[in-house]
Formats: sequence, structure tokens, C-alpha cells
Amino acid sequence: MELIRHNRRLRWGVGLLLCGLLLGAHGCRRAEADGPGVVHLSLWTGWSGQEEKNFERVLRRYEQLHPNIRIRNLGAVSDDTKTIRALVAGVPPDFFQIWDPSYLGPLARNHAIRPMDALFRASGLRESDFVPASLRLCKYQGHLYGMPFLIDDTALLWDKGAFKEAGLDPDRPPRTLEELADYALKLTKRDANGQIVRLGLRPLTDPYMLIALFGGKLVDPVTGRITADDPANVAALTWYKNLVDRLGGIEQVNAFASGFGRDQTASSPFFVGKVAMMFNGEWNPYWISRYVPGMKYGVAPVPPPASRPDRARSTWLGGNVFCIPVESKHPKEAWDFLVWVQSREAQVMFAHDMNNVPNTREVLKARELRTGPPFRYKYAIFLDLADSPNAEAFPALPVTNLYMSQMANAMDRILYRDKTPAQALADVRQRVQKELDEQ
Amino acid sequence: MIAFTRRQNSLTESRRARQAIWLGLAFISPWIVGFLIFTLYPIVASLYYSFCEYRVLSPPHWVGVRNYVELFSDREYFLQSLLNTAFMFLELPLALILSLAIALLLNMNLRGMAFFRTLYYIPSVVPTVATSILWLWLLNPDYGLINKTLAWLHLPVSAWLNDRTWAKPGFIVMDLWAVGGGMIIYLAALQGVPQHLYEAADLDGATWWDKVRHVTLPAISPVIFFNLILGVIGTFQYFTQAFIMTGAGGSGSVGGPANSTLFYALYLYQNAFQYFRMGYACAMAWVLFILTLLASFIVFKTSARWVYYEGETR
Repeated sequence: MELIRHNRRLRWGVGLLLCGLLLGAHGCRRAEADGPGVVHLSLWTGWSGQEEKNFERVLRRYEQLHPNIRIRNLGAVSDDTKTIRALVAGVPPDFFQIWDPSYLGPLARNHAIRPMDALFRASGLRESDFVPASLRLCKYQGHLYGMPFLIDDTALLWDKGAFKEAGLDPDRPPRTLEELADYALKLTKRDANGQIVRLGLRPLTDPYMLIALFGGKLVDPVTGRITADDPANVAALTWYKNLVDRLGGIEQVNAFASGFGRDQTASSPFFVGKVAMMFNGEWNPYWISRYVPGMKYGVAPVPPPASRPDRARSTWLGGNVFCIPVESKHPKEAWDFLVWVQSREAQVMFAHDMNNVPNTREVLKARELRTGPPFRYKYAIFLDLADSPNAEAFPALPVTNLYMSQMANAMDRILYRDKTPAQALADVRQRVQKELDEQ
Repeated sequence: MIAFTRRQNSLTESRRARQAIWLGLAFISPWIVGFLIFTLYPIVASLYYSFCEYRVLSPPHWVGVRNYVELFSDREYFLQSLLNTAFMFLELPLALILSLAIALLLNMNLRGMAFFRTLYYIPSVVPTVATSILWLWLLNPDYGLINKTLAWLHLPVSAWLNDRTWAKPGFIVMDLWAVGGGMIIYLAALQGVPQHLYEAADLDGATWWDKVRHVTLPAISPVIFFNLILGVIGTFQYFTQAFIMTGAGGSGSVGGPANSTLFYALYLYQNAFQYFRMGYACAMAWVLFILTLLASFIVFKTSARWVYYEGETR
């Protein structure tokens, strides 16, 4: 005691320690104060920053409506392999969000997550209330293994200023993919040295939107076999290769594209006029209103090739999916939450904050999402598109991840002229099918 | 009587010695236990898994040498990744010459030398992730300082990481920026070269180059050898830079464009953690281990011819 009284630093230390203990005791007491019957759910999600705050708001609302439930959300788990390690170790959270839905297939295939068909039927939810492709993201071999909470889709955005400059009607988007290619060429601008200063169409990072437009298939719906080299897929990639070649070749296009800033920042290439058109997601209208409020731009469905008018209003859908591990301690309570997030209130609240697309059809038409600031009218075009019969999503397979990276590589090989589209896609089919057969 | 006491003494001594051993083991047990559980066990397990089909989420089952057969019959990915890694060995002689040259310069007795030494050493203490993010900007074809400088000198510019020919050289340029780690070791070695050898050489009328060639290099050859071995092992494991700078950070897919930066360790990682092919990945890891072992062995073997140790006679 003598020592403590005389040593100031020590006195501070002891004081802090006592404060810490007090806070700790307080924390314990709060947990106890919930009393009997209160269930604590652990949840891992990939959202971080502002998006995480938006999601926390949804959680707090749920707790308000269900006083016996407390959900502790661990955010920023956008590395799904972390969740998978927890699953393998047998200590998963009560439920979790898969950031990259391509992991759903392997998890379902290996019985790491619960099938939800019976729960779905018992809860009174109806499949017909959902955006069809949003449930397709969650289904493995016809069984439901996940629940969506908002989705993303893809449309054409065009810069009206660039259209005017190129002598095009700024209010008339291309009506066929062939026309879009011509527009892309007209809109591409070079400086005196022949260097690209604006690309007519932002280079694609994956071929899926095109595959949807050409009516291509990734898996045979009957036999379940890989159809990477479906003739429509070959046509899609051939179209793109021809376009890139006409724009000056992949080397030139890549060199220009490598100077692009990040999306959802003020330096996103579309916002700064480096690309005149792009196939991109529903979050753009909001970010444009925030970073380049004066920008004149249009939004429309990406037009199909002239030969496939039936593929009008095609879009490619993505999203993050919620799953319940087999080893969840509170599957019932977790499921109840997943049912609630399909409610009008939850969907509107979260979609409004996130500027993402609701996954229930009724909420797509919600007035709250379509009125208000001007950007909402452009955002509404994405809402309409999600429910299109031509909205597609990547099928859940045990090998989706490999399939996707093989497709990305095939696209590179085609653009760099290493392989013909037919050859590259046949190689993908062979490789992925072999892996699938070994499962 | 005397004999008896002595025997008793030796008895207590041996008991004490045994006690000391147990006590010593107890004290290092945290390390031993950690080594057994977190290092030795995974190593042994990975050897077993390399002969299994192991999809991580379900138990492994034995498939014999299938993974190895598959490895060596895969030209497009396995061989490409191996060649990509092999390309990075170009970096070794460049790094060696550059770090040695800087060390020789920094070994001169000039004012303010401590400042320059610090300056050249700093890049090597920057974490690899930070370096990678920084170099994403430096190598940016539009805004990057590298291209700006090249253009200012009227030299041809490149898209670096977005060009499949220049992506790997881009990584080499970046790594050469951080040669300070090797440099500091050379610098220490240079300071240890006996002064009298230089004086003797001076008396014989040796030029500056003669002294470097016949005094300095032989005297620091054990350190060159050390850096070379570390370089060989490090190159085989080349991963972090490519993982960060391609894909999410750069443009397109990890290991792109067209697999030109799909290094061996990167492809191994993808198999293990993205494609759920842990057995295949383990087989890759063992092939990597054997290749590293072979390369180190060759360097060791040749070292007898060019590495000199003090007091050695030839």
C-alpha cells in the first residue's frame, strides 16, 4: 500500500485496472439482465463500414420487434474461407452470410449447411413472391440452402454528354448489341498519338451478362452437365472478342483500363468520362448523385443481339446469401430472422439504405424506393429489370469457384488470341466437368 | 570412505543433471508443443493428404498418386505457374549485384553516410502488403511515377501489371526497390573484411577492381552464399505481391492477365482455399518442397568451389 501511495504511475495503473474490472462486471450484469428465455444469436456478415451500420439498423429493429432475441453481428467477414474454416472446425456461428455465393454449392454438397425446404414450406413463404433468380442463387440440386437479403442486377448506363459529342442521340440507347458495338466504336476517342482517351464501352471483367443476352447456358438444366461451350456462349464471346479487336486489341484496351479508379469512388471511370457506356449495377445512380451530381446519363436494359429479340430485358443477378450451418445452436431462431428479412418492412428499410435491389417482387414496386431524390428514378429501372423472365444467375455447383476462374481465364485466352472462343470454352467444359465428375 | 563419498556425489550429480534436463524441457515445452502440434503435425498430415482426394468439408479418401499424375499432366496451369515462378529467378542475380553495389558505395567513409544507409534500408522494412499497394500506384500506366519517368526520358512505357509480357518484370522492378535487406547484410560483411588484406594488396599495386575481385568478394562469399540460399527459397514461395496486386487490387482476375502472374504458390493457394482441392494443393506443396530442396542442394554443392571461410586453406 505504501508503494502504491508513493508511485504515481502505479496508482494510475491500479485505478485503470479497477475501472476495467468495474466495466467488466457491468458487462456481465447486462448479459444477465436479459433474463431467462433470451436467445443470443451469433451472425457473421461481409458488410463493413456504412453498409455494416445499415445492417445493424435492421438488426436493432428486429430485436425491438422480438425482445427475446439478441443478434450479435460480426461484420467484414467478406473472406468466406474464414467461415469455412470455422465450419470445418465445428465452431460456426448460428448463421452466416456467404459473401461470394459461389461457395454455396460446395457447402451444400458436403452437408455443411441446412436444407431449408421444409422450413420454407412451414413458414408460409411462397416461391412466387420471390424474384425467381434470387432463389436460384440459393438452390443446389433443386433444394433450398440459403436465403437472399437484397440482390444486385446489371443494366446499361450511358453518358449522354459523350453521346452528344459523338453525334449520337443522347436519349436513344442502342437497341441491339450490334448497334451497341457500333456506338462503342463511335464513342471511343483517341488523342493525336492514337492513344485511347475514352473507351466507348467499359471492358467487361466477366462474360455472364453477355451469356444472358445470347441466351447461353452454363449447365444443362436436365443432365446437370457443364455446358461452357454452349453455342450461344461461344457466340457471346466471339461478339466481345470482335468488339475488343475493333477497339484496338486487348493490349491497348487493357493498358487504358489499368488507369481506371475504383468503383463507388469519385474516380470511377464512368464518373470521370473515361468510358461512355458500361454494363453495371444498381448502386451507380446513388453514387453518381453523390460524386458527380451534374452528370447527364441514361439507364436502360442492355440490348440483346438482333438475332435474339426474345432475350430483351436480360440481366445478370448476384447477391449475398444467408445460410444456417448444420451445427448451428439456434437454427429455429436464425430461420425466423431470415423469414422476417423477407417482410416488406425489412426489405424496404435495407434497400432504401443500401440502394440495392429487394429480392421480393412486391417490394420491387414499393413507392418509397422509387420516389424522392431524382437518382431513384434511374435506380427504379434496375428494380424493374430484376423481375424480368430473362434475369439469370450463376447456378450453384460444387465447382462454381473453379468454373468462374476458368471462365475468366478463357476470356483472357480468347482476347489475347491464344485460343479460339470455341476452343477456350471447350477446354473449360472439359476441365470443370472432370472436376465435377470427381465429386 | 573417500570412494564412497565420490560415488554418492556422482549419483546426486547425475540426478541433478537429469532434473536439469527435465526442467529445461519444461521451460521450452511451449515451443516443443507448438512445434509438434502446429508445425510437425501439419507437415506430416499434408504428406498424407497429398495422396488423398480431400475436399476440406468432407473427410479425405486415399487415391494414391493420382494428384501427382494430374499435376504433371497439367500444362496450362501447373506448368505455367511453375514457369512463372522460374521467371522470377531472374531477380536473384539482379538483386545480388544491386544490393552488393549499394553496399560497396555505402561502405565508403564519407560524411552523412549514416543518412544514406538508413535511406536505402527503409524500403525493406516496409511490410510487403504496403509495398504492394504503393507499387500498384507507381506501376499505374497512366498516373504512375515509373511510366511518367520513362516518358520524360523518351523511353517506351508499358502497361506493367496489365500487360502479360511486362507483368512479371514489373514485380521484379518492385522487389528491387527493397534490396535494402540484403544490402545491410553485405554492409556488415564488408566491415568485417580484414584491413590488412587491403593494405597488402595496396603494396602489391592492386587496382580498385583487383581488390574487389580478389579480396572483398572472397572474404564476403559466405554472406553471398547465405543471401543466395534465402533468395532461392523466397523465390519459390513468391506469393504475396501477386495475390495483392492482381485480381481485386489490379484489374481482372488473380494471376492475370492470361495467367501470366499465376505464380506457383498462388495457384497452390487457389486450389487449397478456393477450389476445395486440398489434396491436390498438398501434392503441389510437396513438389515445391522437393524443388526447393534440390535447388538449395545444388547451390550448396557448388558453394565448395566459390565460398571461402576464414582460416581455410586451399
